[in-house]
Amino acid sequence: METLAALAHGFAVALTPMNLLWSALGVTVGTAIGVLPGIGPALTVALLLPITYDLDPTAAFIMFGGIYYGAMYGGSTTAILLNTPGESGSIVTAIDGHEMARQGRGAQALAIAAIGSFVAGTIATLALTFVAPALVKLALLFGPAEYFALMVLALTTVTAVLGDSLVRGLASLFFGLALGLVGIDLQTGQARFTLGIPELLDGIDTVVVAVGLFAIGETLYNAARFRFETEEIYALEGSIWMSREDWARSWKPWLRGTLLGFPIGALPAGGSEIPTFLSYLVEKRLAKKPEEFGKGAIEAVAGPEAANNASVAGTLAPLLSLGLPTSATAAIMLAAFQQYGLQPGPLLFDSNPELVWGMIASLYIGNLLLLILNLPMAGVWVKLLAIPRPWLYGGILVFATLGAYTLNNNVVDLVILWLIGVLGFAMRVLDVPIAPCVVGLILGPLAEQQFRRALAISQGDPSVFLTHPLSLTLLIVAALLVAGPVILRRRARRAEREAAAA
Amino acid sequence: MTTVRSLRLGEAVLGGGVLALGVFIAVETARLEVAPSHTTIGPRLFPSLIAGGLIVIGLLVLREAFFGHVAHERGRFELDWLAVGLVSAGLVAQMLLLETLGWIPASTLLFVAAARAFGSRRLLLDMVIGLALTGAAFVVFNAGLGLTLPTGTAIERLLPGGGDDSGE
Repeated sequence: METLAALAHGFAVALTPMNLLWSALGVTVGTAIGVLPGIGPALTVALLLPITYDLDPTAAFIMFGGIYYGAMYGGSTTAILLNTPGESGSIVTAIDGHEMARQGRGAQALAIAAIGSFVAGTIATLALTFVAPALVKLALLFGPAEYFALMVLALTTVTAVLGDSLVRGLASLFFGLALGLVGIDLQTGQARFTLGIPELLDGIDTVVVAVGLFAIGETLYNAARFRFETEEIYALEGSIWMSREDWARSWKPWLRGTLLGFPIGALPAGGSEIPTFLSYLVEKRLAKKPEEFGKGAIEAVAGPEAANNASVAGTLAPLLSLGLPTSATAAIMLAAFQQYGLQPGPLLFDSNPELVWGMIASLYIGNLLLLILNLPMAGVWVKLLAIPRPWLYGGILVFATLGAYTLNNNVVDLVILWLIGVLGFAMRVLDVPIAPCVVGLILGPLAEQQFRRALAISQGDPSVFLTHPLSLTLLIVAALLVAGPVILRRRARRAEREAAAA
Repeated sequence: MTTVRSLRLGEAVLGGGVLALGVFIAVETARLEVAPSHTTIGPRLFPSLIAGGLIVIGLLVLREAFFGHVAHERGRFELDWLAVGLVSAGLVAQMLLLETLGWIPASTLLFVAAARAFGSRRLLLDMVIGLALTGAAFVVFNAGLGLTLPTGTAIERLLPGGGDDSGE
């Protein structure tokens, strides 16, 4: 009941004309960047940080939430019509969605994706409404040792689960952690790793790193691959209305996708890729005609699209209630909280209820707006795909440098942006995932703080992390996540060798 | 064979880079001057852990590069280095010229270089679009949102947000 009252208050905040406008702006921008290849929600929120500095935090977060939701809707359009996933969460959608477009059923595929996103988004936002306050109660039991253990768990899951090479994920994570070390040590005032450059005393800005990796690195990579790749855009064909059979085949995958997406997004497991892959596999297993998969199966669009939208709401639960980002976009949103001097967690629910609940309420509204934006207006978004690539990437670079420069009006930021961009390019070429680096950069300094606080309380005794039951459990889970796959792979390889020898 | 060799080379570069970063952090951490009261949980412990992690990971990647089977045989090594160089040069030119020439000319140069890298042959049209885009951004962000993109000697002064009111 308490929660419902809080939510009602949130709606009162979200329904003021100005906040409605911010929500509408957020979902529109979100859909646009979701449709455009080369830019995603993490980059967009990062670029908006300097501009929203003077904005009321509630308005800013209503907009950011809209962008995050909108990007998942828009990503499916690109996946279906262009076969280039606009977002990493739409990789799976591209498989059968693009096949549907090839068969002239593109409009139907878009409708299935949009309605599925709406169903999943609404259910998952409802789940967020009730899960977030419950997580807050849990967070009250946490001391520094538990927070540190939780952050270690989040860092390892983001790393272990993304990409297919654990070592590469760890390399990316530790690179991010190393970047996070730069600057003045908050507890002692000691300057660390600044190389004598005064601009580095404040640390390397999250915005510069995120924009460098996501905009500059991506653009360099796309420039390098542009000559070798061909794009075929399919026109929006077919009826937008779903037949009775389409509905019958879609509703169960939508619900199952939601069921997978929300908890996996919320349990620190790294964003929207995993639930979409799982949803695809589940649907294939359950389908009456599994042979259709890969050839334009409706279930293969409906399930993953529901899963990626639900996972976004799931990601917001630990972000708001524990201050724990589980995806790159959530990590940038945490940086946004820091910019406003706010610390997500139990305190935020007490001190800024209008922000937290206003944002959650705005997600219900944004979701409805997105259905309207994406169903009847799908054709408008498709036009964005026609922007010639030279101008699209030229524009991305102009706005990326604009965002980095205006942080401090300093060319040094542009130099760092370029360096990080070149590193991001190298990471893309060498197949090193980028998200662990961003999450590491933001969580690293927070983890160090909790780590030292815990040790200060225990007077330097490092066993605190192991004697607190909650902390111990979290650390064991983290260790299993790193060691488990390695051991399993070893065992599989040994079995293979034995089989070969026999 | 060549793809496997270039994959191994990439792997070696990655491992070497991570290892070098780890060693660098370890050395810098050892050189940090720390007040004696902070020795146990001072500013050194966490960097040491990260340095240790980087060194171990770097060695693991190197081992994979020289002895292991190559995990990533997707072979994305067909790269257009000329295009990468063009985009990169555009960025360097922009950062060098930004505060003397001003936001609009420097960024238009970047836009044109990037467009060329993505295969555009219409130099004049690219310039016009670059000027329009950077000019619009200048007006919106400087006059509208109160940011201070650098004003150069020529173009920006003619636009709102580029005059004396921006504090020059």
